[in-house]
Amino acid sequence: MNISRRGFIKLLGAGTACFGLSQMGLNVKPAQAYATSLKTAGAKEVVSICPYCSCGCNIIMYVREGKFISSEGDPDYPVSEGSLCAKGAAFRALHVNEHRVTKPLYRAPGATEWVEKDWDFMLSTIARRMKTTRDRDFKTKNDKGQVVNRLDTVFNLGSALMDNEECAVTVQALRGMGVYQIDHQARI
Amino acid sequence: MTNHWIDIKNSNAVLIMGSNAAEHHPISFKWVLRARDNGAKIIHVDPKFSRTSARSDLHVPLRSGTDIAFLGGMMRYILEKNLYQKQYVTEYTNASFILGKDYAFKDGLFSGYDAEKHIYDRKKWDFARDDKGVSLRDKTLKNPRCVFQLLKKHYDRYTIDMVSKVTGVSKQHLASVYETFGATGKPDKAGTMMYALGWTQHTVGVQNIRLACMIQLMLGNIGVAGGGINALRGEPNVQGSTDHALLWHILPGYLPAPLATQTTLAEYNKATTPKTNDPLSVNWWSNRPKYTVSLFKSWFGDAASKDNDFGYSWTPKVEPGEEYASMFMFDRLYKKQMKGAFIFGHNPAQSMPNSHKIRKSLENLDWLVMGEVHLTETTDFWRGPGVDPKKVNTEVFLLPCCHRGEKDGTTSNSGRWQMWHYKGIEPMGVSKSMGAIYTEIFHAVRDLYAKEGGALPEPILNLDLPKAYDADKTAMKVNGWFTRDCEVNGKKFKKGDQVPSFAFLTDDGATTSMCWVYSGGYPAVGKNLSQRRDHTQTPMQAKLGLFPNFSWCWPVNRRIIYNRAGVDVNGKAFNPELPVITWDGKGWVGDVPDGGGPPMAQGGKYPFIMHTEGLSQIFGPGRVDGPLPEHYEPAETPLTKNPFSSQMNNPAIRWIASDMDKFAKHGDPRYPIVLTTYSLTEHWCGGSDSRNTKVLLEAEPQLYVEMSHELAKEKGIKNGDVVEIESIRGKVQAVAMVTVRIVPFKVMGKIVHLVGMPFAFGWTTPGVGDSTNRLTPTVGDPNSYIPEYKASLVNVRKAVKVTELER
Amino acid sequence: MPKTFLIDTSRCTACRGCQIACKEWKGFPAVHTKQTGTHQNPPDLGPYNYKLVRFQEYKMKTRVEWLFFPEQCRHCLEPGCKAGADAILEGAIIRDPTTGAIIFTELTKKLTEQQAKDVQAMCPYNIPRWDKKEGKLTKCDMCIDRLQAGMVPACVKTCCTGCMNFGERDAMLKLAQERLATVKKNHPKAMLLDPEDVSVIYLVTEDRKLYYEFAEARTPAPMPGMTRQELLAKAAAPLGRLLG
Repeated sequence: MNISRRGFIKLLGAGTACFGLSQMGLNVKPAQAYATSLKTAGAKEVVSICPYCSCGCNIIMYVREGKFISSEGDPDYPVSEGSLCAKGAAFRALHVNEHRVTKPLYRAPGATEWVEKDWDFMLSTIARRMKTTRDRDFKTKNDKGQVVNRLDTVFNLGSALMDNEECAVTVQALRGMGVYQIDHQARI
Repeated sequence: MTNHWIDIKNSNAVLIMGSNAAEHHPISFKWVLRARDNGAKIIHVDPKFSRTSARSDLHVPLRSGTDIAFLGGMMRYILEKNLYQKQYVTEYTNASFILGKDYAFKDGLFSGYDAEKHIYDRKKWDFARDDKGVSLRDKTLKNPRCVFQLLKKHYDRYTIDMVSKVTGVSKQHLASVYETFGATGKPDKAGTMMYALGWTQHTVGVQNIRLACMIQLMLGNIGVAGGGINALRGEPNVQGSTDHALLWHILPGYLPAPLATQTTLAEYNKATTPKTNDPLSVNWWSNRPKYTVSLFKSWFGDAASKDNDFGYSWTPKVEPGEEYASMFMFDRLYKKQMKGAFIFGHNPAQSMPNSHKIRKSLENLDWLVMGEVHLTETTDFWRGPGVDPKKVNTEVFLLPCCHRGEKDGTTSNSGRWQMWHYKGIEPMGVSKSMGAIYTEIFHAVRDLYAKEGGALPEPILNLDLPKAYDADKTAMKVNGWFTRDCEVNGKKFKKGDQVPSFAFLTDDGATTSMCWVYSGGYPAVGKNLSQRRDHTQTPMQAKLGLFPNFSWCWPVNRRIIYNRAGVDVNGKAFNPELPVITWDGKGWVGDVPDGGGPPMAQGGKYPFIMHTEGLSQIFGPGRVDGPLPEHYEPAETPLTKNPFSSQMNNPAIRWIASDMDKFAKHGDPRYPIVLTTYSLTEHWCGGSDSRNTKVLLEAEPQLYVEMSHELAKEKGIKNGDVVEIESIRGKVQAVAMVTVRIVPFKVMGKIVHLVGMPFAFGWTTPGVGDSTNRLTPTVGDPNSYIPEYKASLVNVRKAVKVTELER
Repeated sequence: MPKTFLIDTSRCTACRGCQIACKEWKGFPAVHTKQTGTHQNPPDLGPYNYKLVRFQEYKMKTRVEWLFFPEQCRHCLEPGCKAGADAILEGAIIRDPTTGAIIFTELTKKLTEQQAKDVQAMCPYNIPRWDKKEGKLTKCDMCIDRLQAGMVPACVKTCCTGCMNFGERDAMLKLAQERLATVKKNHPKAMLLDPEDVSVIYLVTEDRKLYYEFAEARTPAPMPGMTRQELLAKAAAPLGRLLG
């Protein structure tokens, strides 16, 4: 059985606090000179991966009651050994962020502002636009009469931010609809 | 990466060139410094002295866009001083191959050039062959038409004097780098090269990397511990998104996109499946039809059968010779040939060259569907600087996407490790994963086609894409499964079994796989190897820093690819201290060997199994712009003549023509300064993620331009002044950072100044500045069409009125 | 046994992981900054910045030196700030006996701004900062909450190159000597900064004056009303040495 540093902590069946005090040789007598509590104590640990560069640093998310309270590098990831750079260290701030788009936003032609819409409106309208464009512009044969079955007037950009599985279904869906002008950050 | 992050520690010399590793891949420096602790020399060749240079033994400033001259000089030095690894070069590369009669090189041009179309007829670069079509070889390397001799001739012009004049690098620096890195040609020494966008983002980007590979092959540095040619992949999953082919020119797993001329699957297979009559060549791509059919089978499920070419005809075919890379897509959009677009997690209005043209082009869309986490310069292009929203008729749909920590799935690091990440929290608001959004859009379209019919509904109605996106189920499908009970390679499988690895994929519809290189990562139900967290190693693996049981790595968990080239013909590692694999008399131990089979002296096969000839290519006839890298000046150059030939620019460039595509003249007196662009540790690419993470914006708050004290003095600019940088395409304001870390270059006897700017700052974050790419040109490498962000021409002056930055 | 940091600047890449990790662990908001011609931002320590990577660049004879200094409180063995605060309000600044962390407690809220300034002036490294909003003195607390839970400080945890080291004092002193011997081979001027006096020992490669003003301990200003003798009696070792 593989016993990693973090795995060992889990084996004890206790939070890091219990393990740590004795391990660090700290004084565990109840009367601390300056008593503190740990914000991550008892939080659920979930392994994620930094969404920036390709070092792929594994990051532990500390989650309590659905709230993302803290994050730090995963010491079990052999590449980073628990470390992170500035961007990785801001993983929680990236997520818990008031500047995120959290609702579908729609901008009508000529409009000066975004309008909030629900998913149903967005998906059905997008599908209609796609179908209208595709039905109008889909090319079954090229000028030479060769079967090409493609849509020349719609393109797709992105994204290297996506997971492998997301990329797989995206390529399948796009090419299935005849969209072949596909590109992303690999060409930047 | 041929190798992986940890393996950098095994190097004797680390050449970081075309990369600012400490800033853009900060964790890599953990391993670079470990190599240094072990005595390795760290060399950073880059126009700017950066945080990488600060921790290197030697920083060598180089005029941006002259990497081939620099490396060509190194190749000459290696040949002249006999530093190459002879057995490796003779046995494992095509150095011994003899060129056919048509190959020639003269004054910057290779044979077969069509000056009108700017293309080469690559058949002219073919090898001389025997009656079976196998290339002729001279293992003495003496034949004047063998690759080795032609290589010597080609780089004979790259003398230290000449290279110094062109690159602006001092002769002492050149000699020092060449000597240090050349020393890794000894069989028991290894040098690694770490590169990134500093090599790719040039009109000669692919040839920059080709020449680096050629040097590594000459020195025997490919397939060994501490060696390799290591692309520090950029975006978080650009390794995976490339493998899965979010690209026009390939299908998942590096299968070429079907051409209009390939009207049937048989024709496609014939055109894309290489053949060889050399019994010593594995020629792995002869398996390509298995991967192609398994891919189509996974896309179209039960509807894909032998009778309908597994759905091949339903999928789009592209015109041969046509280019569809993003710079061409946007040119079509600018010319109003495009109507709709999906842009997810991508900010072209900020990060593509010539932003003014990109921003203008977007106005030509009827509809734009965007998936984003934040508002960006692209989501809000219709109300950008100088744009009147009322006049923009594009309908924009912005779909909120969740972040990494809010979803399950895998990403692949630069070392090809496929790693699972777990959902920690619910998506914020009503945001969803991009995978779910694409799936739902597709099904909304599909519902309409099911109800109403329309243009070619078959591929849409028959697409085997489950309604609800599920990362785990998709991961299983990426690996692939058996569609019926069958026997493959002597093993029996039941319908629904997971495919153990791509070696079991078939071309008859019995298997699926959405990306064959990932086949083997999920080899049985409940056995998702990307989730492995096991540190178990053999002592040999521990010494290497190889973690074969942590996550999984494509292909077939091989951590260092081409590793059979790291052993001699008897199967013993060239460096006995750090073998990646070694033959113990019965089998290989260490890493997963590349291709298997016994050592070559015992009847084994050539080590470079992905090449038709089985050997690596010092001479590379596959690239569109030449078989041997040659120095050409950037599209915009401060010189009026290429000192190496009368070909100023890469002759194979396809130039984009529009009224918004302007280029400075060669040596243009209006724009005498070289501009190079880059990222920085605290921000990421176009910057929308990091600018909106305010603790990061705090550390790097505004657009700056780094310049030498000499240039600043010439222009009357003080540190901290707001300056205006102008190219023929636009103007940008930035804060001057006057620094000793940038120096003027002495090029062909004249002083050439260089300035450098990040491109992470955009107008949607108030007061930070706007896109640096308003300056850069739309021109790219003719193989990859990655734009030349790294070298263009500008001028700089103190800003009269500050309009773009908060002061 | 008190804890000690070894900050080996010869390994620092200024990735600023420590600077951000510190803010994130503490839950501090971002502060508004501007580009002024340097990568160093924010320009100084502050109530929301206990850790700051300082950048200095020089053109030397044969090469450029770009010096990085991840600045933080030194957690002096005999802290001047505590000596100063004790003269005003016992308990405002304490030394955690287990870890050696110098902690500014909530009692610093009871100091007037002027008193806080006086305490500030007692610090040879110019570390304490006045938090106007909360009306208290602030600085690094060695991540005492993490230490008490058996973890290392956030800045140490996040460091990717081995620049930030943390552990028992003996072990760190030993490591410091070993690292110094190695670094000296390439940097003959390399030295440890005040290792006998502080719990946060910096290993620098160049003359300490080149890093920033307070890389060198300054002579503190005595507290108002305090005689030189009183100051000396209370003051920490580095102060004592400086005052001679």
